[in-house]
Amino acid sequence: MNGNEKAMGPRGGDRGGDRGGDRGDRGQGMDEEKRGGRGFGRKKVCRFCADRNATVDFKDQATLKYFVTERGKIIPRRISGNCAKHQREVATAIKRARGVSLLPYNALVG
Amino acid sequence: MADTQTAARLREYETMFLVRPELTDDLVDRLKDRVRDIVGREGGKVLRFTVTGKKKTAFPVAKNARAIYVHAHYLGGSKLVAEVERNLRNFDEVTRFISVKLAEDVDPESRPVMEDVKVAGDAEEARPAMAAEGREPIARVEVEEAGGETEEGVGEEA
Repeated sequence: MNGNEKAMGPRGGDRGGDRGGDRGDRGQGMDEEKRGGRGFGRKKVCRFCADRNATVDFKDQATLKYFVTERGKIIPRRISGNCAKHQREVATAIKRARGVSLLPYNALVG
Repeated sequence: MADTQTAARLREYETMFLVRPELTDDLVDRLKDRVRDIVGREGGKVLRFTVTGKKKTAFPVAKNARAIYVHAHYLGGSKLVAEVERNLRNFDEVTRFISVKLAEDVDPESRPVMEDVKVAGDAEEARPAMAAEGREPIARVEVEEAGGETEEGVGEEA
């Protein structure tokens, strides 16, 4: 029981901290709403659509690295800016590259 | 149009395979020739072989941190790919392979046979023992050393 009480202590403290954070978040939320009204900055363009010569190739490690996180995960479309067609191609290419060990399935960070 | 319909239409494929890093250049060339023979036997056409020297792999493959990458670009049918893959599975030196279809309905005459390419792999590991043995040029690009040999080989076959 004592152990639990001790554990509760710091949790309560954390909660207090979270509340403080919430207040801060609320303030930021207002800013985000404003930004949402304006639109989020510049629109991302699909790299492969913009450059006609660029092709998706599972052997092209340098290009594919751009669409993979440090950890080895495929970066989603909303972040990479790829169009649906090219994101599908990139995802397939990354999976093929993993098969021949050009890209990692799971890379350890740090 | 009539000519194109009568001519045999093939598919364009590429196969990439990983070879154990201990293999010497001669053995890799022999392996390349064996694949070339298979493609020739099955009625295909090899366009190009690209051998990349020892390269670091993203994760250990067959307990090795590096591998030699061989890339074959050829025309043929689905049976040919199955035969190439069956053989690659039997070669002990080959650890991994992948075949990808690049194009359908290709006229074999429209694709020229290109010379084989040899690309240098990554820089050698900075092992103290290796450095002491003798400093070889690290970024050596050997293009067309094997090209002449393979061309002769093709001539003999034909």
